[in-house]
Amino acid sequence: MSDSASNAAHVDRDQTDCLACGTPLERGDLRCAICGKSAPLGRNNLTTTEVVKILRCTGCGAAVAYDPKKQAPSCSFCDSVVEIETLQDPMEQTGGYLVFTVSAEEAKAQLQQWLSSLGWFRPSDLSATARVQELKPLWWVAWVFDADARVSWAADSNHGGRRSAWAPHAGTAEIVFDDILASASKGLSAAEVEVLASGYDLTTARPNPEGAENATIEQFDVQRSQARKQVAQALNEMARIRVQQSEIPGSKFRKLQVSLVLQNLVTRRLSFPAYVMAYRYKGQLYRLVIGGQNKTLLCGNAPYSQAKIIAVACAVIAALAFILLLISVTQ
Amino acid sequence: MTADTIEKKIDYKEISCQSCGSNLLVEPQMLTAICPYCASPSIIQRPPSEDLPTPAFTIGFVVTQDRAIEAVSSWIGRSSVFAKSAFRKAAPELTRGVYLPAYLYNAVANSDYRAEIGENYTETETYTTTDSDGKTVTKTRTVIKTEWRSLQGEHCCYILDVVVTASKGVTNEALEAVEPFDLRALRRFSPAMISGWLAEEPSRTQDECFRFAHGEAVDKVGSQLKGFMPGDSYRNLQYETDVANESIDLVLFPIWTFAVRYDETKPPLQILVNGQTGRVGGKVPISPVKVSIAVAVVVFILLVGALLFGMAR
Repeated sequence: MSDSASNAAHVDRDQTDCLACGTPLERGDLRCAICGKSAPLGRNNLTTTEVVKILRCTGCGAAVAYDPKKQAPSCSFCDSVVEIETLQDPMEQTGGYLVFTVSAEEAKAQLQQWLSSLGWFRPSDLSATARVQELKPLWWVAWVFDADARVSWAADSNHGGRRSAWAPHAGTAEIVFDDILASASKGLSAAEVEVLASGYDLTTARPNPEGAENATIEQFDVQRSQARKQVAQALNEMARIRVQQSEIPGSKFRKLQVSLVLQNLVTRRLSFPAYVMAYRYKGQLYRLVIGGQNKTLLCGNAPYSQAKIIAVACAVIAALAFILLLISVTQ
Repeated sequence: MTADTIEKKIDYKEISCQSCGSNLLVEPQMLTAICPYCASPSIIQRPPSEDLPTPAFTIGFVVTQDRAIEAVSSWIGRSSVFAKSAFRKAAPELTRGVYLPAYLYNAVANSDYRAEIGENYTETETYTTTDSDGKTVTKTRTVIKTEWRSLQGEHCCYILDVVVTASKGVTNEALEAVEPFDLRALRRFSPAMISGWLAEEPSRTQDECFRFAHGEAVDKVGSQLKGFMPGDSYRNLQYETDVANESIDLVLFPIWTFAVRYDETKPPLQILVNGQTGRVGGKVPISPVKVSIAVAVVVFILLVGALLFGMAR
């Protein structure tokens, strides 16, 4: 496990960049995934004079020919197969683990503090009787990317509308993406990731998990080609948000289309620390997620006190009834 | 004299078999040869030049000869009823499985476009009509109207994986008919991949192939722009595309070629089979006799129908 992680980190270091768009090529890439340019040849096998040759099997000396059944060049006598460099599509591996800086005790204390700070509608005995069922340190996985994008967009907005409420607009923008995080986690919800994402220091990445015992270590569950699709999708979504925030005039939009030309897309695969806490209140299980580097970032659910809500509802109804009564009396 | 002209037409290359030493004559575009005496597969490697670059990638054959023959037979069987009878009966003649040279083209496309964008709005209008009692009444209704606004803008995108033929033996249309290839199966070119098979060098110039690729790239931009337009509708979409950062790689694609000779007086018809996916492509000859008979029958039925209809009145 730790071995493959340090391996992955090593691969990240000796990459070459695409000559056309600056995006780092990864081991086994035959072409750039962004602009399609072929990877430069490592070994120089250019011929300078015309040669005629027969490829021979290193095992038995018979001629080697391509066989569609094996989909590889093979020797028809001894059945050995010649390996050809093909496109590799390995499973994604994390490139490093960010360290835990929040201890388990601090996380537990944070839970109690959070429970008592929730407000009046929660049960009064919540923080006193809620029992931490399980506190599990977790490394969840995400891609972090940097990229330069030239974005062209077109949309309808309410700005400049004449008879119709909508008017067409178009434009271009240069957008720089810096340390954008796209979750690959199966265990955390999108809402939880959004809360946690801002509380990490990316420079604390280590080759091995550090700072927590018995942690759950999430894996990237996707192959490289699928990962690239997900990153591209996240970039597209980010570009849409940026364009809506700062490019389109007006306040209401529809039919927004964006088209991106990406350059220098650098993707890192990292594991982020968090605590997942399950706590029980009156037999019911609730869940809270706390950032592993910033305990104030948390996301969870908690019970409401039904008795208190009913009491308030009754009080409101009673008040309304009383007012109505007053009105009818005065009339 | 005649021998002279033939020699000029095809400038055969002479190579000697590295296995049995016999001299072989090879067509100038071929990258491989199979010795007729000892069946040894030779590979010819030439230094790259401007119009003859070294192949960068190959896709290996997946479809075997038997499967290709099957695919072509069933394709001919399924061809249109208007196809010439001789064609439907003809037995396809397998000529060869060949690694066809083609260029894989990628570029950034920057386009300036202008169009009129239709934005719909509703309007209440009054109109007069006669009601069931025969009186004239005024009513209102809402109608959807379209306001046309002009829009001018830029569009930029990557154009990826355009494949264009580099062989004079196969037109770009014929290659398009058996596309797409699954480019995930691309392999780095290695002489071992084409050993034992026929493989060609490019016989079209790079300029010509670039022109094909430009054309396809501009078409791709056009179809992307259609989806890019805001508004409820659009008209008069015009665009001009500049391409930048072009890259072009020579790829050898696996193709089974068949010839169907259905008429002594005509050159045989070319049918291609995608050696990776088994997709069949070719132009089916339409029988003018069959088409005119069908037209005549339809006209006759219409005439008879009109006549009967006229008599009944």
